Amino acid sequence: MEGLVGNLALGFATALSWQNLGLAFIGCLVGTLVGVLPGVGPIATITMLLPITFGIDPVGALIMLAGIYYGAQYGGSTTAILVNIPGEVTAVVTTLDGHQMARQGRAGVALGVAALGSFFAGCVATLIIAGLARPLTHLALLFGPAEYFSLMVMGLAFAVVLARGPILKAIGMILLGVLLSTVGTDLDTGEERLTFGYDPLADGVDFAVLAMGIFGFAEVIRNLEYEKTRDVVMRTIGRVLPGWQDLRRSALPIVRGTFVGAALGILPGNGAVLGPFASYTLEKKLARDPSRFGRGAIEGVAGPESANNAGAQTSFIPLLTLGIPPNAVMALMVGAMTIHGIVPGPMVMTRNPTLFWGMIASMWIGNLMLLVINLPLIGVWVKFLTVPYRLMYPSILVFSCIGIYSVRNAPEDVVFTAAFALVGYALIKLGFEPAPLLLGYVLGRLMEENLRRALSIARGDLMSFVQRPVSAAMLAIALVVLAAAVLPAVRKGREEAFKEEP
Amino acid sequence: MRIRAPQDLVAGLALAAVAAFALWASRGLSQGRLAAMGPGMMPRATAVLVGLVGLLIAVNAFFTPGPRLERWSIRGPLFVCLALVAFAITIRSMGLVVAGPLVAVISSAASPETRIKEILIFGIAVTIFSIALFKYLLNLPIPVLVIPGVIVL
Repeated sequence: MEGLVGNLALGFATALSWQNLGLAFIGCLVGTLVGVLPGVGPIATITMLLPITFGIDPVGALIMLAGIYYGAQYGGSTTAILVNIPGEVTAVVTTLDGHQMARQGRAGVALGVAALGSFFAGCVATLIIAGLARPLTHLALLFGPAEYFSLMVMGLAFAVVLARGPILKAIGMILLGVLLSTVGTDLDTGEERLTFGYDPLADGVDFAVLAMGIFGFAEVIRNLEYEKTRDVVMRTIGRVLPGWQDLRRSALPIVRGTFVGAALGILPGNGAVLGPFASYTLEKKLARDPSRFGRGAIEGVAGPESANNAGAQTSFIPLLTLGIPPNAVMALMVGAMTIHGIVPGPMVMTRNPTLFWGMIASMWIGNLMLLVINLPLIGVWVKFLTVPYRLMYPSILVFSCIGIYSVRNAPEDVVFTAAFALVGYALIKLGFEPAPLLLGYVLGRLMEENLRRALSIARGDLMSFVQRPVSAAMLAIALVVLAAAVLPAVRKGREEAFKEEP
Repeated sequence: MRIRAPQDLVAGLALAAVAAFALWASRGLSQGRLAAMGPGMMPRATAVLVGLVGLLIAVNAFFTPGPRLERWSIRGPLFVCLALVAFAITIRSMGLVVAGPLVAVISSAASPETRIKEILIFGIAVTIFSIALFKYLLNLPIPVLVIPGVIVL
């Protein structure tokens, strides 16, 4: 326990420098600013804003990126409540009751409670991360390549189950992602694979490029198609601070949402996605009068928003302790860390304690910033929403182009994003969910590396994955999760959990 | 045999096609052994799995009912991608001063609601803002104005 306090003190000493405070502030501010744009989720926001962190020292850059991430998350909730357009999957649930509250003239209270709930969730999640970091890191040091491989297989199994839509299609997307990750120079032999002798492909496809094309630009194209009149609620934002009655109603949902979200967020394989859905279902089940849900129940905003933020934060745990990004946003973080010369994984904590604990402390500071920035600035964000889409999307494209170009100063990267935008559009049209593809892509390379290493240690004996107890246990979990997902009863529950209608 | 899920049929066949293409593209890579995997093993193994899943999805389309194919639009994807390509071509040779407004104007053609005067002004404003932000505030090495032989900013 004493170690924990000491570590957190070190972290706060780092994060509380004027420069880092300023970076956290700017990060949260621009993150919210971009995240508020309808149809721009955290993935697109981070990709777009990645270059602005290039000139900063690693600690500051990561603090700023974390700020951007939280800002983007909160910005997404703002659009969900005011415009009924979720920036990403995790904000879908917020649209249900949040937008109804907005239409009843209680948009301010919805946004306020979302901010308060997120802040509480952020405080708890920060403590959870600080507490779990050391034990998990020790665990990670015991892992060999076989265990790592099995852990990632388990993560992908979770990702399949947690993805929306048919299971087979999710599996297809993950495998396609793994296949894409093999493009580029082979690490062992230096031979080029699937590059067709085209030089820019020798380093493989940059993750930011893939994410921006498949997530950001494809989404722009799709929004153009569904250009319907946006249902912006702006007449009355109303008071922002929730009253006593509202607070009493949301207190318990916030606490429950926080723990549900935090627990799910730790899962490898994008567990954070499920948090808001689980919290919403839970609150609806516990409510005395479930029929209020979908008609502006404040519990339906407070719980899921807290779960969302808690999950967003605890999903840092697999990345920081095991070096395995559990979702696309964390994969972008890997990219950002690599640019600054940091290899995420168990070694970061021991080799670079200032960075590690500074970042954890900055998570808490980031949450505080959000509260401070967003409550007074809600009026400004609302103004942004009145910019018509016909002007908004060209500007999004200009900023994104500059962002993508700046990652490697490579014009051909921008052309790649165009190609991936078409791929992403095709995926949407064919009913594929692109998120598992990104995860497969991210884990693909790590998996191959560890698979090869494990097999060469075991002299090609595939049985070694089952003979090592930890590895066998994780493979067994993967199998059980996948098998369960195919069972009719569970499948029905899974479809229900992701149903958007109340 | 009736097709019950047209979208899934196309989706599955598309996956299978990608897999076939990957298998063809990786034909020259050595397979290696399990103890010493060659560069070709992972791509080929994954491609085979992708293909199998694709075929399963396609076959399943004959048994389980599913959504029909949606209409694909051409205008949106075309102009958005043209804008991106235009940026890639002009950013090094002419600089952001040209590339920025070009992206705005070309991509604006993707929406039927565009007004040309409005988007011109807006595109220029966004470009000026980005130059101030990225070039001067953040010091990113992005070419602002390039006139070959005369000026490189």
